[in-house]
Amino acid sequence: MRRALALLIPLLLASCAAPAASGDSLRYGLTLSPSGLDPHINASSELTIPLGSVYDTLVFQDSESGEFVPGLAESWEVSADGRQYTFHLRQGVRFHDGTAFDAEAVRLNLERVRDPANLSQKAASMLGPLESVDVVDTSTVVLRLSRPFAPLLDSLSQVYLGIASPTALARWGTGEYQFHQVGTGPYRFVEYIPNDHVTLEANPDYAWGPSVYQQARPHFDRVTFRFFEDPATRALALESGEVDVIGEVPPHDAERLASSGEFLLQAVPIPGQPLQLLFNASRAPTDDPSVRQALLLSLDRPQIVATVFGSQSAVAEGLLSASTAGASRVVPADQYDPAQAAALLEAAGWRLGADGRRARQSQPLSITLVVPPWGSNPEAAQLVSAAWEELGVEVDLQVAPGFGPLKQAQSTGEYNLIGVNLFGSDPDLLRPFFASEGLYNWTGWSDPELDALLVAGAESVAPRPERMALYTQVADRVAAQALVLPIRDYTNLVVRRTGLTDLRFSPQGWNPYLIDLQPAP
Amino acid sequence: MLTAFVAVTLTFFALRLGGGDPTDSLMAQNLVTPEQLAAVRATLGLDQPLIVQYASFLAGLLRFDLGVSLFNSRPVVTVIAEQLGPTLRLASAGLLIAIVLGLALGILSAWSRNRLAADGARWVSSLATGLPVALTGILVILLFSATPLGRLPGPGLGWTRGLLLPALVLGFASAGAIARAVNTELSRSRAEPYMSAAAARGVRHGPRLLWHALRPALPLVISLCALQAAYLFAGTVVTETVFSRPGIGRLLVSSILQGDYPVAQGLVVLAALIYTLSQVMADLLALLVDPRLRGSS
Repeated sequence: MRRALALLIPLLLASCAAPAASGDSLRYGLTLSPSGLDPHINASSELTIPLGSVYDTLVFQDSESGEFVPGLAESWEVSADGRQYTFHLRQGVRFHDGTAFDAEAVRLNLERVRDPANLSQKAASMLGPLESVDVVDTSTVVLRLSRPFAPLLDSLSQVYLGIASPTALARWGTGEYQFHQVGTGPYRFVEYIPNDHVTLEANPDYAWGPSVYQQARPHFDRVTFRFFEDPATRALALESGEVDVIGEVPPHDAERLASSGEFLLQAVPIPGQPLQLLFNASRAPTDDPSVRQALLLSLDRPQIVATVFGSQSAVAEGLLSASTAGASRVVPADQYDPAQAAALLEAAGWRLGADGRRARQSQPLSITLVVPPWGSNPEAAQLVSAAWEELGVEVDLQVAPGFGPLKQAQSTGEYNLIGVNLFGSDPDLLRPFFASEGLYNWTGWSDPELDALLVAGAESVAPRPERMALYTQVADRVAAQALVLPIRDYTNLVVRRTGLTDLRFSPQGWNPYLIDLQPAP
Repeated sequence: MLTAFVAVTLTFFALRLGGGDPTDSLMAQNLVTPEQLAAVRATLGLDQPLIVQYASFLAGLLRFDLGVSLFNSRPVVTVIAEQLGPTLRLASAGLLIAIVLGLALGILSAWSRNRLAADGARWVSSLATGLPVALTGILVILLFSATPLGRLPGPGLGWTRGLLLPALVLGFASAGAIARAVNTELSRSRAEPYMSAAAARGVRHGPRLLWHALRPALPLVISLCALQAAYLFAGTVVTETVFSRPGIGRLLVSSILQGDYPVAQGLVVLAALIYTLSQVMADLLALLVDPRLRGSS
């Protein structure tokens, strides 16, 4: 009897466990449903997850070394003045619809991105000061720039500038192409039903994979992506066996799943700006550097990060998250010093009253904090506000319901701190934030030397390490003014069934190399 | 018709005056100069005075042309149409469950001579009205994924997870309101003289007596169901998100957050239409079941 039971229990448990994926198909959970799926037109990071495997790019970037390696371009030369890029294209590459890949295809794709009528939301600005695209012969194309633009290869390595079949582009209009995408990548685009799913199928003819891929051919014949917008349902999707992999799992769910033994947690660092708050240096009281410094020192950032994000996220210490090229530590995680913070405020004349609030000449010390609703910004801001209240500062915390309202708050200037950050693998993304005339100069700070450094970084023709050193100087100058309050290096918590291995990601951190995914031996 | 017009007009102005500039979120990740931004606004017709935009929107509406989505330049009608099917299936399944469950709970709580059953039914209907869909949704998913219930044989995971569970969650929320109305009406008609008359004619306890009591309450219950149909449509917003279903609820949320005005407006036009239609249907149905209404009109 006992033996029978011992036999029965594992059987019962097995029947309750999530059903394993059938050998050849994979289900991947997405988190946001993009408003559009055309990489040349739309901007979401989410679209790169499926499309990264549909398109090849001219170059690819190696995650470890940061170097650029051949993709659809076998080799390239950059002119000494940094204004002319000549690409020698790989021959014998065919799009999924049979169209041959050539220089004209590259030109048509870049022209499509640049055409103002197409309203490109991201790709167009990634091309920087691109002036013309000239076809020299079927396998040579030249990109001419009006000024040097160091981030160009980084841009060209991303899916937003993936090369699509000219035949398909000509056949479908701007709005319809997203449902009929044709690239040269390891997976073919099968179907996109908005808000429901995206389906890909392995491309049996794929024979031109870049060196960043470990496998020559995809293992999984079919990959289906579904959207799980409500964060609370993501862990459930894994547990009920609806998906094999899903990203952006809430930290505490992710840790619970990982400790169950049935799932593996992979914390993927996302390069770009960390979760951060920018000080408005043109509005009282944060126009006073000692107030900014005091607000910085009064925060126990490791504690805040641990509370909101659990143990898997690093505390941000710079203008760029640690995994970004050119990142440096300028706001140490362990600088928490409430006594020093209070002393700074006292010295600046902000005295603590009997009611626990600080004031100067009967003017209360009060600040307005505006944050967006995504990325746990409100939760982090809540803890930040609590710490400042403790210090005797009156905090008005406002959650702006979207980017539009955030921009609106910014244009009226009615904030002392604002939560905004961009992702990206090239440090030039700092320029619009910290250049005097920058489009996102939401700190209101203006410093000609900082401007010069940022332009030098953008237009550098020097080897990579030399260029990145410029960004160390940028970070030092910004940190010296205490303009940035970095909180958490963005980490995508990806959880997968233990039955899957070799889940690797491109340097931007979002799109997986689906071709490399393998079932566990 | 007037209701629909007012709703559409209000939405038009509310979105534009309160929602910020759609080009801000459209171009959030694009480093465009103010001149380029102005060009984008001109392309989208956002540089026109508000009243001109409104006039051209109304003119389009008369031709059943709802314009083009700002975010993927596809016709609004197409964008909505491809999301409408799943929502209609969910909402009608939800309504069916709401009516059946609501009637059952209402009758049980007012009619059952078993104290326990009556109290239980009353409890469940209070719970149904009180619990938010976001919570019941998660609870149901948990129940069906973490327990052997989820392994029940049937048409498959896709079908249960895809329609039955979300419809159950959605219907449950509306069932509470229907149950309460049925309960109130039944309790009242029980004390009416015609019930004594029926009893005197020999209609004893049971289905026939119940029908006597229920029939006068039907017009009210039907118009309540019509109202619930409109609520159900609103309820799909949350249900669709929790169950990761496609549908116009999610479309509405994303279009408002991004500032995709044409899509949001199109959805409001549709909602106003559905609301009006369900009211008309309810009036017709009431006419059918209540002869008194036919006489008076």
